[in-house]
Amino acid sequence: MSSALWLGVIAAALGTWLLRALPLLWMQRRLRRSPHRTGALPQWLAALGPMMIAAVLGVSLVPSEQSVTGWLATLAGSAITLALWWRLRSLGWPVVAGVAVFGVVVIILS
Amino acid sequence: MTTTATAPAGWRSGLRDTLPLLGGYLPVAISFGVIASRAGFSPLEVGLISALIYAGASQFLFVGMAAAGAPLWLTVVMTLVINLRHLAYAPNLAEWLPRSRSWPWLMHGLTDQVFALAHARLPQLESERRLGWFAAASLLAWLVWIGGSLLGALAGEWLTARWPLLDRVMPFALPALFLVLVAPRFTSLRWSAALTVSTVAGLVLTLTGPADFAIVLAAACGMLCFYLLPAVSGRYS
Repeated sequence: MSSALWLGVIAAALGTWLLRALPLLWMQRRLRRSPHRTGALPQWLAALGPMMIAAVLGVSLVPSEQSVTGWLATLAGSAITLALWWRLRSLGWPVVAGVAVFGVVVIILS
Repeated sequence: MTTTATAPAGWRSGLRDTLPLLGGYLPVAISFGVIASRAGFSPLEVGLISALIYAGASQFLFVGMAAAGAPLWLTVVMTLVINLRHLAYAPNLAEWLPRSRSWPWLMHGLTDQVFALAHARLPQLESERRLGWFAAASLLAWLVWIGGSLLGALAGEWLTARWPLLDRVMPFALPALFLVLVAPRFTSLRWSAALTVSTVAGLVLTLTGPADFAIVLAAACGMLCFYLLPAVSGRYS
């Protein structure tokens, strides 16, 4: 890799880190000035966080193999994940069960 | 407090909570290693790109544009444009972060997945466990990302040929994890509608439109819905 490209890697890395760290410093300053810590986050920003997570969910739901098998496996895996989450309200087991069911559907239909 | 005395250390909880995330991280990291290797990057370079930039989608774009001979400034700018969504992440966590000089450095590990996990878990932890939790969770995810990239660069082709099913099944860990992170936020009609719009928009935009900007555009659709709908239940958080 040329030294110019290394400079590009460093610039992209530094820029990405600043995009992640500077808003924290801004928010920490707001929190220090705010008498009520919980009210310091602007409402639009508080809503944006969960919207971003939901958007990432939508993007990740698209199966890498876009076929009937891929979509059915995604549907079955998602249903089991949600059903188990509803019952357990935990993080680990619903994900494990979802992946297992996804895999079983892929094997059966392939 | 007795709960603190009996609860596992923050770092241990962080490691445990991050495990479901890794099932999705590893295949994507291996894919990155394979693609970067095919584009002419050495395993050392692949590992360093993953360690330094540490942002999935933009890394794929970076090596793709660099390999295609795109101008370097444009490659860097496009990498950063894709990562602009990260601006919204840290302010949403700041309220839950106890005082420490380490936080700005730890923000290097604030990926989409770590943010989603931290946004759900940090409020549930005692204040004194949060630094350890975040440090362990983000460090483990970072190391697995680097390790997976190296593995992909060194032996990715062989791995995917030998265990093709693993390559097809493991990535589902990511949507499964996001499902359990989003589900508790369906607390009112307003939130449910906006989150559904955001999710469906993300899915549709990935299938039909500019996949690189799907997250930002989908979140914007969700925000639009959130502000167009009246706060029916009156419950905001």
